[in-house]
Amino acid sequence: MSGLAVAAPEQTTTPRPVRRRGSYRWSARGFSLPAVLVVAVLLYLPFLWTTWISFTEYNGLGSPSWVGLDNYRAMFDDPNFLTSLRNTLIWVVGSITVPVGLGLLIATLSYGMRFGSWLRLPFLIPYAISGVAVGVVWRFVLQNGGGLSQALDALGLPGADSRWLSDAPLNTIVMIGAAAWQQSGVNALLFVIGLQSIPREPIEAARLDGASGWRMFRHMHWPMLRPLTTVVVGLSLVASLKTFDIVWVMTKGGPGRNAETLAVTMYEETFVNSAYGAGSAVAVFLSVVTFLAAITYLRRQLSAERTV
Amino acid sequence: MRLRHTVVAALVASTLVLAACGGDDDGGDEGSAGPGQISFYTDKGAWEPQFLAVSDVSETSLGLGLDFTGYSDAEQYSAFIRQSFRTDERPDLFTWHTGSELEDLVAEDLLAPTTDIWQAAIDNGDVPEAMQEHFTVDGETYCVPMNAAYWVMYYNKAVFDQYGLAEPTSWAELMTVADTVKANGVTPFYETNILFSFVWFQTLLAGTDPELYNALSTGEASYTDPGVVEVMEQWRGMLEGGYFGDPGDQTAPQDQLKGGTVAMINFGTFLSGQLNSVDMVSGTDYDFFVIPNVNPDLPQTSLIFETGPMCTAKDAANETSALQYAEWWMTDEAQTAWANARGDVSFNPKALVQDQLLADLNEQSASGDYRLLERYFEATPTPVLTAALDGFSAFVTNPGDPMPILETIQAEADAYWSSQG
Amino acid sequence: MTPMAARILRPAILVVLGLIWLAPIYLLLVNASKDPARYAADQVWRPVSDFALFDNIRQAWEIGGLGDAVTSTVLYSVIAPALAVLIGAAIGFGIVALRLKHGFFWFVLVFGGTVFPLQMILMPLFVGYVEAAIYDSRLGMVAIYTAVTVPFSALVMRNFLGGIAHQVFEAAVMDGASTWRIFWRIYLPMSTSALVAVFILQATFVWNDLLLGLALSQSDDVRPLMTAVTALQDTYGGLQLTAVLAGGLLVSLPTVVLFLSTQRIFSRGLNLGQF
Repeated sequence: MSGLAVAAPEQTTTPRPVRRRGSYRWSARGFSLPAVLVVAVLLYLPFLWTTWISFTEYNGLGSPSWVGLDNYRAMFDDPNFLTSLRNTLIWVVGSITVPVGLGLLIATLSYGMRFGSWLRLPFLIPYAISGVAVGVVWRFVLQNGGGLSQALDALGLPGADSRWLSDAPLNTIVMIGAAAWQQSGVNALLFVIGLQSIPREPIEAARLDGASGWRMFRHMHWPMLRPLTTVVVGLSLVASLKTFDIVWVMTKGGPGRNAETLAVTMYEETFVNSAYGAGSAVAVFLSVVTFLAAITYLRRQLSAERTV
Repeated sequence: MRLRHTVVAALVASTLVLAACGGDDDGGDEGSAGPGQISFYTDKGAWEPQFLAVSDVSETSLGLGLDFTGYSDAEQYSAFIRQSFRTDERPDLFTWHTGSELEDLVAEDLLAPTTDIWQAAIDNGDVPEAMQEHFTVDGETYCVPMNAAYWVMYYNKAVFDQYGLAEPTSWAELMTVADTVKANGVTPFYETNILFSFVWFQTLLAGTDPELYNALSTGEASYTDPGVVEVMEQWRGMLEGGYFGDPGDQTAPQDQLKGGTVAMINFGTFLSGQLNSVDMVSGTDYDFFVIPNVNPDLPQTSLIFETGPMCTAKDAANETSALQYAEWWMTDEAQTAWANARGDVSFNPKALVQDQLLADLNEQSASGDYRLLERYFEATPTPVLTAALDGFSAFVTNPGDPMPILETIQAEADAYWSSQG
Repeated sequence: MTPMAARILRPAILVVLGLIWLAPIYLLLVNASKDPARYAADQVWRPVSDFALFDNIRQAWEIGGLGDAVTSTVLYSVIAPALAVLIGAAIGFGIVALRLKHGFFWFVLVFGGTVFPLQMILMPLFVGYVEAAIYDSRLGMVAIYTAVTVPFSALVMRNFLGGIAHQVFEAAVMDGASTWRIFWRIYLPMSTSALVAVFILQATFVWNDLLLGLALSQSDDVRPLMTAVTALQDTYGGLQLTAVLAGGLLVSLPTVVLFLSTQRIFSRGLNLGQF
């Protein structure tokens, strides 16, 4: 509601619009305000509280007591923090290569083909299946001697006796596979939207010039896909840094915490140990890293995009 | 006029949230239950049908029912309850944990005392007096027991019959049974590296040296004591000797016992309900026995029990009714309904448990032959427990020198006990 | 590669990959259809002899009390993503077409909403909601679902609208159209497929949400579906695996149908260039 109160006087104070760029200042603000408002109030404000808690010792009851940087110091001294950091990095690298690459492959192969959208469907269904069922099914597949081992055995391939979810870093790698299973279709869908927005004329012209297959993709589609590539990579970057659900559901962090990611460490400190301060410190660290990674990537991509 | 349109219209999006669904708002306070209903929260969301079955009984005999809200995630549940004390959405009645979790709430003076209710129940023979200490902090008792379970050895009767095996009465006999099934290609015992990784540590230590088991949970003994190391080495020997199933197998224990993947499962009596749910019949398809002591010279057999409290928040909206409900919960009427709905034992020896095996155990446990020991999960302070569960899960997955694991747990224990002053 | 070979190879790769992708779905279907008494953990690949899917579904539906939560969950997963799509498109339009001053800053601010781990804002949100008297209300649920889906929507829409030539905007202004009209009548219709994609992805997210539902609601007619579904299976027992899978399958149907029914939108070209 405060949005109305703030914006209402603006209508009367703004001059009649003319066709200069500056004159859209107020309507530009009006269009942007709802997004800023809703995100600021419901996401930033609560996180401010978390940030404050990270400088305190707090078990969720009574009042937090200020401890300055103690939680951060303890975090960097904890050997498990390094394991978490390493696993998180594997997740980032894995997520921006495998599901993004597969998404791009699926999108470019299926786009423009007859029944292409139907061939794409098998990749989208995993995303539509609810988490409860996905968790159970992947436990079928990945537990020792489970579906994956049985399949390898039947095909005469090695690795059937691997302990998929117990040994590091194998457990992280197979979970990245499971995540790719869910995410590739979504990425493909986003790439398809990008392909749809590519104008037909230059493509036709290139085709008449004899371009096809890989060369067509490399020189025509790929540069024009850039805005949506930014979307897909940007989202994967952020999501992979925050990886939690699948690790928690499949392994609870793995034997001896060997599959733990930063988000799992954060969750364990806060919700299992009720050490809200320590958990919040990890959350703040994680958010800052994610934010810096996202802003660095987006700035480079978006400024490059403008020069194209 | 164009601009006016623009600004107004652009703002529509921000106000749509309010406009589009203002009518759907049901008001903010469904949390306060109506007359005769007390709000009840639990992290055992899967037990909703059983709680509601007991609520039906209480509505008739007490005029009070439960307004049930279930969580399926214990960690988030704990956080929710803790934070709810900052608001006026605090629950009337909620399930909780004994040990350090209970002490946290008492330290902030958030619970309604139940000392008088307990005294009456003990006098009435509704609850064993020995249980009270687990609910008492600094001389005052809080909460009432929600449930009770004993940790025993379940076994697949078909497997035992096939190899002509009888329930063992000593550790040596138990190992003979294990060796026999193992020689026939059946894995003797269930093991998991998720959550319940502590179970065999608990069994071996409690059956070897119950004093040390208790001293460990109060911080008087160290995890690096020779007695603890010895137990870990024994466990390691069993792990390396192939006595345990694959700890990475996430197949539910009831399915493993049913399928004959393992012959025996060391588990809480709530496994009976889970076994019944996969169509195994108590006494026909499965049975259980109290696990014999490792050390045959001990005067009493160590029997692990667990109990979870049901607590009343101080100054809750319906505090008086909630205390009334807690009082009723301990009666044999409530406990008969509860134990049979759950298919488990009860802390109330007068409860009429239908399952004969469980009923027998219910009676036996009150005799002097057993020494009741609190489950490791509740007996151990949370930060130490977290470290221990991590350590044990790594140990059962890759058995090896236990010393580094014990040292890690002890470091956590040192930190905890020094902070407790 | 000759065009002929490509014509065969492209669908062949997709079909093979697609079959691999469907293998876990096969496991889901087969095991959800098994009679609980016949289910065996070491034979998950084996097809069913007797078909018990509907019995399992009925069991999950009745015991989970899923019926109560359907209305509210449908409401959340339609209204919140729809609002988020519009709000995201609006800021995208503001930045790209109207050239909002410091556009990159505001965009990053909004997109930055996704960097916070959701688990960590649950507790302050819960306390704030109780104090604002919107705890356990449908309004509160719609508001938070909108907020968490806006950053995604803003990123996609900003980048998608960025692909529309600015001449489109200038030409419309020449014709005397208001900014609102340009947004509503030109930019939004041109972005149908992006809008639909964002909508179905975010509707699926809301439909499957568990975290926010648990933290911010309590009564049966406000709590979303997934809180009931996960209670089907937890550490303390619950339903059998077959019924859990059947329940999981049942609640996935609406989102699968949503994906199916929107497929044709993604099968044709948009050709923004012609504007």
